[in-house]
Amino acid sequence: MKVFSNSETFNYSWEEVSTANWRKYCPWNQKSTHVVAVDTLSRSVDPETGILRTERLITCRQSAPDWLKSLMGGCMDESQVLETSYVDPRQKTVTMVSANLTWSNLINVQETVVYRPLNEHQTRFEQSAKITALCGGWQRIRNSIEDTLVKRFRENAVKGKEGFEAVLAMSRRAFAEERERERMTLPRTTGDIRMASAS
Amino acid sequence: MSQSLAKECNEVKERYDTCFLKWYSEKYLRGAGTADNNECSALFKEYSNCLQGALKERGIDKLLEEAREDNKENDATFMGRKKCE
Repeated sequence: MKVFSNSETFNYSWEEVSTANWRKYCPWNQKSTHVVAVDTLSRSVDPETGILRTERLITCRQSAPDWLKSLMGGCMDESQVLETSYVDPRQKTVTMVSANLTWSNLINVQETVVYRPLNEHQTRFEQSAKITALCGGWQRIRNSIEDTLVKRFRENAVKGKEGFEAVLAMSRRAFAEERERERMTLPRTTGDIRMASAS
Repeated sequence: MSQSLAKECNEVKERYDTCFLKWYSEKYLRGAGTADNNECSALFKEYSNCLQGALKERGIDKLLEEAREDNKENDATFMGRKKCE
């Protein structure tokens, strides 16, 4: 088993980060292009704790190294991950646990990501992944598979941070524009433009 | 918003995602969105129905069942409930 871990600080509030997180893989993110689809499978709010639990299916397309492909007999470019996330609005945490669905008889990848506030304007991102090659046979091959995936995680983490920064910036702009629009249209709907402009 | 695995579900997925994001930022984070049944529920049902066929067709539904089984411990941990319940 190999472990990959990483942490980052984003200069945005936890509320902004946890909202933008839902569209981390939208076209605003031009870095994490290996994620080709994100589907929500289930979503519920625990009435006691207020925790929002969401299951998403993440579809990735990223070419595997040739030596691994030849070992597996070809096509392994598309893979799926089940991400289960828990938003705790009282503790202000987002915890996301992901496991690979594809190739689960060969490799076990368990990733945990937590977003929590550092202060009112900054959010901490902590990521850790446990990678275990399960195939029987040579230790050397298992090691190579694990090393390849750790390397992949490292590359994707750098791109992920850059891509998410772009999403956060666009998200902030979009929300500001929406607030502005609401501010402009609200007085008209109540038919009281003069009072609004006077205040 | 991101694409769906199944092209035919993209349109309803987009509408659901937009609805959810609005609900999340304007209600849920402000402590006003605790009910499962909300303005996005009908859209989610429609999206879900569309997706089910695609998952079955690709054999993903079976993989999901296994992965959910494996995730039970995480549920217990992160939903804040005791394991023996």
